[in-house]
Amino acid sequence: MSDANVVFTLFFVLRQEHLERMNGTMKRLKFSKEKCIGCQLCAQVCSAIHEGMYIPSKARIGIETYYDRGGSLKYKDSYCTLCGICFKNCPTGAISKDDRIKVDYEACTGCGVCADKCPKKVIKIIEGKAYICDTCDGDPMCVKVCPQGALRFE
Amino acid sequence: MLGYQNNILRINLTKKEAKTEPLRMDWAEKYIGSKGLSIKYLYEELKPGIDPLSPENKLIFMTGPLTGTSVPCSGKLAIAGKSPATGTICDCSIGGHSALKIKYAGYDAVILEGKLDKPGYLFIENDKITFEDAAELWGKGSHEAEAMLIDKYGHDYSVISIGPAGETLCTMACINSDYYRQAGRGGMGAVMGSKNLKAVVVNGTGGVKIPNIKEAVKRIAEIEKEDTLQEDNTFVYDGGTTAFLEACQDGGILPKLNFSDTTDEDWTKYNGEVLLESLEGKRGCGSCGLGCGNFLKMGDVVCEGPEYESISVAGPNAGNSDPVAIVKANQVADDMGLDTISAGDTIIWAMEMTEKGIRDFGVRFGEMDKYIEYLKLIARKEGIGAELALGVKKLSEKYGGTDFAMQVKGLEYPQYEPRGSWGMSLAYAVSDRGACHMRAYAPNEEVFAASIPPYTPEGKGEMVFNLAQWNAVKFSLCICDFWGTLNMELMAELMTLATGKEWTAADMAEVGTRVINIARAFNQREGFTAKDDTAPKRLFNEALKNGPGAGQKIPEEAFEDMKQQYYKVLGWDENGMLPESLLATL
Repeated sequence: MSDANVVFTLFFVLRQEHLERMNGTMKRLKFSKEKCIGCQLCAQVCSAIHEGMYIPSKARIGIETYYDRGGSLKYKDSYCTLCGICFKNCPTGAISKDDRIKVDYEACTGCGVCADKCPKKVIKIIEGKAYICDTCDGDPMCVKVCPQGALRFE
Repeated sequence: MLGYQNNILRINLTKKEAKTEPLRMDWAEKYIGSKGLSIKYLYEELKPGIDPLSPENKLIFMTGPLTGTSVPCSGKLAIAGKSPATGTICDCSIGGHSALKIKYAGYDAVILEGKLDKPGYLFIENDKITFEDAAELWGKGSHEAEAMLIDKYGHDYSVISIGPAGETLCTMACINSDYYRQAGRGGMGAVMGSKNLKAVVVNGTGGVKIPNIKEAVKRIAEIEKEDTLQEDNTFVYDGGTTAFLEACQDGGILPKLNFSDTTDEDWTKYNGEVLLESLEGKRGCGSCGLGCGNFLKMGDVVCEGPEYESISVAGPNAGNSDPVAIVKANQVADDMGLDTISAGDTIIWAMEMTEKGIRDFGVRFGEMDKYIEYLKLIARKEGIGAELALGVKKLSEKYGGTDFAMQVKGLEYPQYEPRGSWGMSLAYAVSDRGACHMRAYAPNEEVFAASIPPYTPEGKGEMVFNLAQWNAVKFSLCICDFWGTLNMELMAELMTLATGKEWTAADMAEVGTRVINIARAFNQREGFTAKDDTAPKRLFNEALKNGPGAGQKIPEEAFEDMKQQYYKVLGWDENGMLPESLLATL
């Protein structure tokens, strides 16, 4: 291998190790549906903090419970697990990921690939921009208000 | 003030027109929202003496300034109109998510006027309002109708519907939402049915603004943690209202056999422990912090519930201890769109009439198959149901048995025995919509907290006033009363955070009093006086035999004394009427 190749490969291996170390100790949102009462306080405060008003249709989390024909209780658990699939698929590089997802709104074109690929179906494209959970800078508000501790950050 | 949308959606069903108008902010400053504000609108807009089942009646769905915010337990919707059961004002409080959807759609309230020419439903999505045909839904149970609408629009939408009971204009008809939440009392379902309105489907994607929202959200989260989620309130998450069963059994106010006695030695056969063995999940309303809803599955019997009222009326009060029958009765009543309390009380009165040989209604205590069948017959006004749909007041006027027709003004008794909690006889008598436990919840003081002796008239006027004032303002914000530790100071702080206007605890108390007064003024204008604040003679003539209240009956003079105490506290005259000077302040 050339010197450049060695340096490049070394860099890549070290970067992988760093990411894996981070992923192992990195905090993520966790959800226990048995404790969820479907109050949607999570979506309310998420939107309040990010949008300056209570507007759950723009929240970066979408947890709900509903009755299926009145006969059974179902849960929709759309929340960001920091899987990174949005980051890996973003065609413009607008999405970055370390211990949280960040969206560069200058670079985001609203193409919607992230929303399509998101396995939790929690990404929203609103007015041409991707709305993705940013963990409220490592101290998620949704976790703070979840009344029965269904949402945790650990 | 912020918190409001400052926007009312006014629907003329006769002309199929939808218009918006600004909220009367001057009225909101006096009555806030939900209960108080809906009554104020009806007081101003309804002429006295109208037939509640005519197109002249109005049905108001009213939110409050806190609706759609992260204030815990703020997700209930007030539904108000003139009651076809009593002729009084009637405001209900329904859970689920429809209050938030209406608010996020951009409205403080929806006012329904007139009558559709044929069965239909209203579709609301933000500023898109359409009038749809309900031919395929009419005649169906509330659950099936809701399922069909959710199949069509998706479960982002909230459905408010009536069952067959509302369609037949049964005065015990309720309004349903989210399958298992009700605007239960006073026949509001019949008002909706009289307008040929099967359902309202609503979704909203807008928002609610409050001042300094980022700081406010953090302060509200603190209050949630420190106050809402303390043990005094979280019993609601653990067992829901089944917890009241034990408290009432121990306190000697659990009614048995149509209020002929109290305490039931079989109560452990249908109590919370037994019922919750079939728990599938917990559920709360929008913005709830407590999650009182118990979703139960017992074979093919499913229900979110039953609440304490429904357990008692289909349990010991019906001479039944089979828990499956209790849950089945609740499921059927919900689907039929029938108030479990009024329909249940009517059937158990019919049981006593049959047992006593006064008139054979074909049902005796403990016959739960008949009870459940009778719920369906009442809802569809078929067979014996056509008679029973009249309710205990009219039935007893026809056939006798008035002494044990447990009702006030035509609204049947909630499940607390007043001989075990004398102040409750007053609370039932003076409540604005007939016998109701959600105005002054006397057992809290007289039995559970034991802060005042139960078997005396002493101080009960003041006690009932304080409880009624507290609930009146709380239900005008509106906050659910399962946040039991919520006091005037906290309410004032929450109102200040949400609206940006400085509210004090004294302001809250003043609003509470004003709401009691305007409801009474509405009824006064309809001709109600002290003679209508009644109690069934059973309370005066028959002593309890069992429980802590054994030997207790309420002397009629004591009952009349409690009434006069209450009138005096409020500044009403001896005939229970507001003087002109007080009416002018409303």
